[in-house]
Amino acid sequence: MDRMHAAVPTIGGSGPAPAAPTTVLLHMKDLTRTREQADARFELSVPDFRVAAGEFVAVVGASGCGKSTLLDILALVLRPSGAQHFRLAGEAGWIDLADLWRRNDERALAALRRTRLGYVLQTGGLLPFLTVAENIALPARLTGQTLSRPELEAMAADIGIRQVLDKKPQYISGGQRQRAAILRALAHAPGLILADEPTAAVDQERARAIVADFRRAASERGCAVVMVTHDRDLVAPVADRAYTFTLDHPAPTVVRSVCHAGGLA
Amino acid sequence: MSRRPRFAVLPLAVRDLRHELVLNLCLVLALAAVLAPLLLLMGLKNGTVETLRDRLVRDPVYREIKPRETLRLDAAWFAALQGRSDVGFLAPTILRGASIVRLGRPGSSDSELVDLIPSAAGDPLLVDNGVPVPAAGEAVLTALLAEKLGAQAGETLSLKVNRVRDGRREQAVQDLRIVGVLPVNADGTLRVYAETALTLDAEAYREGLAVPERGWDGGTATPPMAFDGVLVAGPQRLDALTAGRLTVGTGFAVQEEVDAATFTARTGLPLPEGYAVLAVRGVERPAGLEAVDAIRGKLRGVEVAVLPYVADPPVLRIGGADVAVAGFSPTAKDLRVLDLPPPPWPALADGQTFAAEARLLLPPGVAADTAATLAVRTEVSRLDVPLAVQPGAAPGAAALVPVELLARLRTAAERAVTLTPDQGLVLERGVFRGFRLYARDIDSVPALHAHLQSLGIETVAKLDVIERLRILDLGLTRMFAIIAAVGLTGAAAALVANFYASVDRKKRDLAMLRLMGLDRLDVWRFPIVQGLLLGGVASLLAVATYLALAAVINGLFPADFDLGSEICRLPPLALVLAVVAAVAMAGASSLLAAWKSSRLDPAEAIRVE
Repeated sequence: MDRMHAAVPTIGGSGPAPAAPTTVLLHMKDLTRTREQADARFELSVPDFRVAAGEFVAVVGASGCGKSTLLDILALVLRPSGAQHFRLAGEAGWIDLADLWRRNDERALAALRRTRLGYVLQTGGLLPFLTVAENIALPARLTGQTLSRPELEAMAADIGIRQVLDKKPQYISGGQRQRAAILRALAHAPGLILADEPTAAVDQERARAIVADFRRAASERGCAVVMVTHDRDLVAPVADRAYTFTLDHPAPTVVRSVCHAGGLA
Repeated sequence: MSRRPRFAVLPLAVRDLRHELVLNLCLVLALAAVLAPLLLLMGLKNGTVETLRDRLVRDPVYREIKPRETLRLDAAWFAALQGRSDVGFLAPTILRGASIVRLGRPGSSDSELVDLIPSAAGDPLLVDNGVPVPAAGEAVLTALLAEKLGAQAGETLSLKVNRVRDGRREQAVQDLRIVGVLPVNADGTLRVYAETALTLDAEAYREGLAVPERGWDGGTATPPMAFDGVLVAGPQRLDALTAGRLTVGTGFAVQEEVDAATFTARTGLPLPEGYAVLAVRGVERPAGLEAVDAIRGKLRGVEVAVLPYVADPPVLRIGGADVAVAGFSPTAKDLRVLDLPPPPWPALADGQTFAAEARLLLPPGVAADTAATLAVRTEVSRLDVPLAVQPGAAPGAAALVPVELLARLRTAAERAVTLTPDQGLVLERGVFRGFRLYARDIDSVPALHAHLQSLGIETVAKLDVIERLRILDLGLTRMFAIIAAVGLTGAAAALVANFYASVDRKKRDLAMLRLMGLDRLDVWRFPIVQGLLLGGVASLLAVATYLALAAVINGLFPADFDLGSEICRLPPLALVLAVVAAVAMAGASSLLAAWKSSRLDPAEAIRVE
């Protein structure tokens, strides 16, 4: 395990948040991912991407700009084509994710997904055969933790879904499903939550409320959030930091997308 | 990294099954609907074969091995066979005809002709039919005989053995207490079963012997005389009426005229010129002294010679050369008619000593200084009978001996006869003509049958019945295997399709589980667990259905299929194996789905279709 870890540096906050030193949770440096399709080539380039503990990072971009690809890489389900650094802060130093991919250590990646990451998908991704409460408790159970019913009820009340805990996901509204999905991603305090357009299925007013509650609940538990969205206005009020994409065409059949800071202005 | 439950996927798989309860119940019903009829078929097949087999196993008839023909077996042979482990019961029997006796009420002249069958302790025909084995002084009747006699167990009947000795009818009587009646399906003939000794004693009495233990009188064991026929020779041909009477009630059946050459060949005597000869004989069966006496009686007052003969006399050997021999014990009338000198021995009579009969008159020109022997070589007897050469010469070209000797040696061709220094010719005892044999169980029958065959004894056994059952069992088993293969193939195909489609439907959920950190093996287990569970529930349901229907079927049929055995039954182990096999099949059917499940990309959870 030791060779996966190195000293975790601290950086000064460069975003709108106060300039107190913050621990870097995830760091990508010169990471690329290329995808070839028939006669076209798509290249995602991430020169420098970092997430600090507890912060809310927005990744904003139109469809086709590579934000899904970035999210897959962050979710540890897509292998980067190359990276100078791709690492996650562990308990005893850096965990070298690029190295795990190189060695194709599926078990280690799955274990990291289980313990260190939480997911909120567009349609929630709740399992239809479990009740809302069971869905929320599942990640905790998979990591060998127990989530007591009062704890669970308190969290559910906090995010406004206490009354639907014992229903199956198919019997609750879209907004309630997303709130349940958020709670499930948070429940085992994973450190980093990845959210993919979590409010795509609800109207704008409700979406703002959900994102606000998400932000609050995540920071209460010290979880960082990376939220991918096309809706800049939705995340502008809550994001600590933002990334966006710039497309260019270095050749007629090549599309290159560079991910860089900014996007809320 | 925190620890996680090893089989976290198990409760999830179960919850998923419960979530689609109706769908899965239908699947369980479909699978049970294939398995239950297969269990019923297997139960019916097994029950049918077992019922048939039970019947064979219970009924001693299927264990019986009967000799195909009359044998000659001694006590040592029986002892050797009795020593075999596959022999269940063995008793010696006597000649078929010799065991016919009469059975009736004591003091009554009414009686039935019955076959006396030897029995002994452990006789399966009696024991397996719930009838006690008769001890000394006891007997078991067949149902038919009991009905005919109007007799029941507990009554006493008289067994009568008849014989003709020295021309007189004699009868020995043995009272027997009836201890049981053998049911008609065990023996549908007129028979009485009694201790083996009674059969042997009845045979001895018939042969003219005394049985002191039973108070039956009689003679020693001198072989009785047996004549192939008589020649009636005289100056005049017999009138047709007189000739015709010679075959009525005399013991001989055929009369025919023969020429002088035949007369000389049979008697060794010259035939006076112009004499006519009539041969009176049996058909392949010799007759006793009483038959000769009967012919003589019918020809009293007619001027003819009556000469009994033996068709194929033994070989007379003198100093290495064979000499033709004939029997001649004439009465004074015979000598007068034929105009011959008397031989140095008396006229034909029973009761002479052996020495008186073992005499020889040589023809002229044959050296008489060396010993002469009559050599008897038959399948049953090997005798060299020394003869005392008498002074004088035979009137013809053949040597003459008392015809009594040849007639007794004729018996040695069919019955074992030995020569003892003090008693002369003696009928051998302790020779049995067959057996009652039961194998220990039906599976021992073929080997025992083969063993007897190797001893040169052809037997009749219900081999074909046993073999037919084996073939039936094999055929039904194969038929069942074919039906099972078709049914299970269909069921397996349906399961494979269902499980595969199920994984396809749930691929986002399964990918979500992968995204949440379950590894490939976990999601591989997901359809496997479901397959095993569905297979288990379906097979238990099938077993329950089978048990219920088997009870119904067994309730429908026992009246028609006797003995109360169940027509549909399976050993518990077979049911356990069926459940295990069905669960294994369902598990195997989920392998394709499991493979697909394990190949799912966790990124698919993130994608929106």
